[in-house]
Amino acid sequence: MSLFESESEDRQNEEQVRYLQANSRELNIVFGYPNNTIKTSRYNVFNFLPLNLFEQFQRLANAYFLILLFLQLIPQISSLAWYTTVIPLLVVLSITAVKDAIDDMKRHQNDNQVNNRSVMVVMNGRIKEDKWMNIQVGDIIKLKNNQSVTADVLLLSSSEPYGLTYIETAELDGETNLKVKQAISVTSNLEDNLGLLSAFDGKVKCESPNNKLDKFTGILTYKGKNYLLNHDKLLLRGCVIRNTDWCYGLVIYTGPDTKLMQNCGKSTFKRTHMDHLLNVLVLWIFLFLGSMCFILAIGHGIWEHKKGYYFQSFLPWKKYVSSSVASAILIFWSYFIILNTMVPISLYVSVEIIRLGNSCYINWDRKMFYAPKNTPARARTTTLNEELGQVKYVFSDKTGTLTQNIMVFNKCSINGIFYGGVYKNEQNVDVSDEREKVDFSYNKLADPKFSFYDKTLVEAVKTGDRWVHLFFLSLSLCHTVMSEEKVEGNLVYQAQSPDEGALVTAARNFGFVFCSRTSETIMVVEMGETKVYQLLAILDFNNVRKRMSVIVRTPEDRVMLFCKGADTILCQLLHPSCRSLRDVTMEHLDDFAVEGLRTLMVAYRELDNAFFQAWSKRHSEACLSLENREDKISDVYEEIEKDLMLLGATAIEDKLQDGVPETIATLNKAKIKIWVLTGDKQETAVNIAYACNIFEDEMDGMFIVEGKNDETIRQELRSARDKMKPEALLESDPVNIYLTTKPQMSFRLPEEVPNGNYGLIINGCSLAYALEGNLELELLRTACMCKGVICCRMTPLQKAQVVELVKRYKKVVTLAIGDGANDVSMIKAAHIGVGISGQEGMQAMLNSDYAFSQFHYLQRLLLVHGRWSYNRMCKFLSYFFYKNFAFTLVHFWYAFFSGFSAQTVYDTWFITFYNLVYTCLPVLGLSLFDQIALDTTYWTIISHIFTWGSLGFYFCILFFLYSDGLCLMFPNVFQFLGVARNTLNLPQIWLSIVLSVVLCILPVIGYQFFKPLFWPANVDKIIDRIHQCTRPLLPLPKRTKLKHASTRRSAYAFSHKQGFGALITSGKTMKSKVFKKKQLSF
Amino acid sequence: MSEEYISVTCRTKMKRISEDYQSRVPDNTALKQQQLPAYRLQLSATGILSGFFAAGAFCLGMGIILILSAKSIKEIEVKYTKICANCAELREDATNFDKECTCSIPFYLSETMKGNVYMYYKLYGFYQNLYQYILSRSNSQLLGTDLKDVGNCAPFSNSHDGTPIAPCGAIANSIFNDTIILSYNLNSSIPIEVPMLRSKITWWTDKYVKFQNPSSINLSSAFAGTTKPPYWSKPVYELDEEDPGNNGFLNEDFIVWMRTAAFPTFKKLYRRLNRIQYFIEGLPAGNYSFNITYNFPVTRFKGEKSVVLSTLTWSGGSSLFLGLAYTVTGAVTWLASFSMMAIHLMLKKKKMLFIQD
Repeated sequence: MSLFESESEDRQNEEQVRYLQANSRELNIVFGYPNNTIKTSRYNVFNFLPLNLFEQFQRLANAYFLILLFLQLIPQISSLAWYTTVIPLLVVLSITAVKDAIDDMKRHQNDNQVNNRSVMVVMNGRIKEDKWMNIQVGDIIKLKNNQSVTADVLLLSSSEPYGLTYIETAELDGETNLKVKQAISVTSNLEDNLGLLSAFDGKVKCESPNNKLDKFTGILTYKGKNYLLNHDKLLLRGCVIRNTDWCYGLVIYTGPDTKLMQNCGKSTFKRTHMDHLLNVLVLWIFLFLGSMCFILAIGHGIWEHKKGYYFQSFLPWKKYVSSSVASAILIFWSYFIILNTMVPISLYVSVEIIRLGNSCYINWDRKMFYAPKNTPARARTTTLNEELGQVKYVFSDKTGTLTQNIMVFNKCSINGIFYGGVYKNEQNVDVSDEREKVDFSYNKLADPKFSFYDKTLVEAVKTGDRWVHLFFLSLSLCHTVMSEEKVEGNLVYQAQSPDEGALVTAARNFGFVFCSRTSETIMVVEMGETKVYQLLAILDFNNVRKRMSVIVRTPEDRVMLFCKGADTILCQLLHPSCRSLRDVTMEHLDDFAVEGLRTLMVAYRELDNAFFQAWSKRHSEACLSLENREDKISDVYEEIEKDLMLLGATAIEDKLQDGVPETIATLNKAKIKIWVLTGDKQETAVNIAYACNIFEDEMDGMFIVEGKNDETIRQELRSARDKMKPEALLESDPVNIYLTTKPQMSFRLPEEVPNGNYGLIINGCSLAYALEGNLELELLRTACMCKGVICCRMTPLQKAQVVELVKRYKKVVTLAIGDGANDVSMIKAAHIGVGISGQEGMQAMLNSDYAFSQFHYLQRLLLVHGRWSYNRMCKFLSYFFYKNFAFTLVHFWYAFFSGFSAQTVYDTWFITFYNLVYTCLPVLGLSLFDQIALDTTYWTIISHIFTWGSLGFYFCILFFLYSDGLCLMFPNVFQFLGVARNTLNLPQIWLSIVLSVVLCILPVIGYQFFKPLFWPANVDKIIDRIHQCTRPLLPLPKRTKLKHASTRRSAYAFSHKQGFGALITSGKTMKSKVFKKKQLSF
Repeated sequence: MSEEYISVTCRTKMKRISEDYQSRVPDNTALKQQQLPAYRLQLSATGILSGFFAAGAFCLGMGIILILSAKSIKEIEVKYTKICANCAELREDATNFDKECTCSIPFYLSETMKGNVYMYYKLYGFYQNLYQYILSRSNSQLLGTDLKDVGNCAPFSNSHDGTPIAPCGAIANSIFNDTIILSYNLNSSIPIEVPMLRSKITWWTDKYVKFQNPSSINLSSAFAGTTKPPYWSKPVYELDEEDPGNNGFLNEDFIVWMRTAAFPTFKKLYRRLNRIQYFIEGLPAGNYSFNITYNFPVTRFKGEKSVVLSTLTWSGGSSLFLGLAYTVTGAVTWLASFSMMAIHLMLKKKKMLFIQD
């Protein structure tokens, strides 16, 4: 990747502007653009070995062993046979190489699969099928519905009116809602005329390839005229064509130049604290090793001077040894070789194996498998497991993470009658599952997934209650949803917001089925009867208006306006005659609010035909005006959106995910703080925070920071701190003293304990100020004292900034969890990023380290997998360093008896196999199969097999290596013939082994004995309790659900953006052509 | 659209789904779910305490047995470097290699040494464990397969004229070449030479597998084309004039020397008592003397030589280390057990009171 990246960067440096001409490969080839092949693989058959080895030796440990190998080849200082290093090194290198090879093979397969997909290319007036990889810049390709876009192409024409093309960009930005692209008119006239298309010779001049998804500028020169191009005209690779039969496009960027490819592969490598610790340890060991070698070299110098010199009659000095000093210098390196086992070669490999194993456990965990979506949890990064056990701060997105992002039409109030209500006489609110679902069998087009529990509403629909019918009719007409019928009779709605989808689906189920729309009509099946409404105007939603309306002409030739919107706005637009109805409805709205439902009001108005014609004229004028068009249009809208007749209100439930409150309570118990960072509104966010236990009603206080400038925000933060911990504002407070004397930028903010449970709410606007300059510490100190923090109206960048802030000053492990494209920045910024594979596409998941489908799996991930991995890794490291030190320090000790001559105590084969064979399995077994529950560790059968097996294995190898046959074949290599047999016959050796075992085990057991007495852990208390009193442990008291008083108001939310309204109707004023291609088949 | 049609399409669709549907639910195995049967060493206080007492008792008992058995060994060591100072001085000058020097050391054995008696030579400060020293040997030569293989033997691989040395290398060259004869003065008149055996003093594997003479009609022809190590007075096939089988690489003194010692102070088995005549029971108490032909120079590197007579028991030699280690361990374990018991009882009492409250 790196090679390939730099290559393409080189080319980018050259390429400032891109020129190309359609249908002219001869010309475009001059510029040397790449073809559409993508290559994510690193190696091929020939360069695998050198490249892989080169990469592996870039690792410090491997390089160290390579150097060691070279040292060993120098006879003057070699103190160990060459194979003691070569064999372990080869094993380690080949394990890694095999793993890399398998990974790369998978990438090759993926690449091949993608590159060999076929696509239609326009060639000389005909359509030819070709492979993706053969597409060149300047080609014109044809894309069909539901096809993936092959390269970054300029949209030329499509089957839809005005060159519109609908696309889904889930793979790019994670948003599943439809986006619309429009071709410029001059090319959309080409339509699907192949002759014209292949004669098209437009020249495009555009910017060089870059990774900005929402930016593209270029100029199309065609028939001597220039046309401006922007990103609305560009279909990016990775998008999928939807709701569009076909479209043609001119290929602009190919293969590695596409925005998709420019955006990938630049993930930063996350390192864990354990990695850091490991490196520090290894560095210290290096120093320790060096100093030991130094001491031994000095010892050797002295020994040679005092003894060795006189021993020369038996062992003359080598020719190259001129003095004891020279000998000492050589011996330094000899000991460097001998003591190399202190920096164990298998350490890094073992660490990777353990992490891989623990990641597999996450993948294998049935308790993190989400059956409804058939998705197991996935550890996408294998290197962060132990970090999971140390998480202190969790930053969570709201929508789709805490909530399901499934909007469910839950209740409604129609003409003052409350439908779908909870039965007041029942104590338990959660009985909905047991209640019987309403039977929608009378409606063949009903969505089977929809469920509703109040029969009275269905009765009302069936009996033909006029208001109920009108209410659902308005829901089925007043929206900007697109429908698609993939299978006959199975409608699929593509909604801009889930709220709107929920409302249209509800109307559909109650018998008012929105079937299809053209730019001028809406087709609705009303209680089985197909009706076509003339769509006269869409008064689209925007953030100021907080409402949308449609004006339709009914088949009965009445002109009707249907409006839905936020209650606060709609209230003021109602006709005075429905005041009493309004009061009743408002009461109902309050009830909805208490339950945290999202509400909308629905109203209608019947218009006089003449009045509408006059208004329509004014509307057209406003649309065509050049100055203040927006204002003028909204004024015109207001003219007609008044004197509305109230129909009722809808309540949509933003469903919490399963087990969220319990999970948060558990994580709180584990002293993990949870902050909610959401782009949503304050009211909605606070509601959800209460619903899922982040805030509680019994909290001592709630601070809302909503200042609009530095000073007010500072004041708000300080007063909050004053309430939580009055002494925190005093000069004498240790933290303040610490902060004033802080030496440099990098320091750690200490933990401060408030005098109760508090909550903090801050919105994005204030946060922008608070994150600047010297306010950030104020913010952090205040926020960290609170039990729960809610940040709302956040931009994706701010989410990352908050994470960075905590990371920078608290020096704790942070975890970010989210599901949408807007969470990607925070997922990448945090130490650990968790992606919820939910409603909002794949983007968050693709950037995450761990991915699963339900928020409540976080509990298991952190408290089981994280804790176990951390414990195991700690044990592993202790064990590993212990065994290697025990092994190596013997040589240091022995040096004092062997004239510091670099003589090893063990034979070379023992050294070769010690780390690799004899001791690796027990250590791995411990760190893979050790079960840790309640502060105690459990040995599994595998631990036993590994330990005893390794011991047995040792003896087998011992007798093999010391056997007659080997010795006779290679007398100079296997020279320890008979040693095992003769020594193991001696009683002394067994007595010594028994004594060593006793000496090693007794202190441990003694510690086990004293530990519960002096430092009792929880489990000991529990066991003690069980021993003493046989009564069973009481279950933890269940928190009774309080019905919140109406202190909290629900968000009268309309989570909606400006829709396609304008696009849908835009055609009318420009063209009178009627498109009737989408005729329904029934 | 008929109802039937919808139900048919639904059914076919369902069927397709069930075919496509491949459950990704992880296997429910104990290994994958981390639910392998696990065992925790859950010891009660009494269990630990009794274990401690038992371990202490075992160690103490073992220690006492070992000490007693080591004490039962009779051992006598005679250092003769200083006693034979004139010989030592003579040997400091290598040019005197052909001058013989003998030295007689009388000593009195106050107690009978019963059973098998072994004679060792013991060297102080002789580093047989130097890396370069240990390297300097040729196992393939000693196996008799390749006499010319002297590659590892530097600096004693070839003589000045290039003929390979057999046995080559620093180890062989530095062989201990004193002869020690023990004589018994029965009636203070004529000393009787104590009968000693020079066989079965090596490991069986060394004598019968690892060391082999090159095959030929006789030994001298087998070693033709090689020369003796520089410090040797006789070639390897003339090491033992009395026993022709004890020559060449199979000479037991040679084999013993070639098994290098791990520490700079070491003793190597030299002879074992031939229990005949007066010596059936062992070495009787009385006056003895060592008659030493002093050849091996040690004073230059400030080493020392001694000769050791010793009996053996099952637990090895006279070293008290293992016995003492066991005893100390046992004692400390018991001490720990008592204090643990005291603490345990105290805390238990406290806990009882606490519960009663």
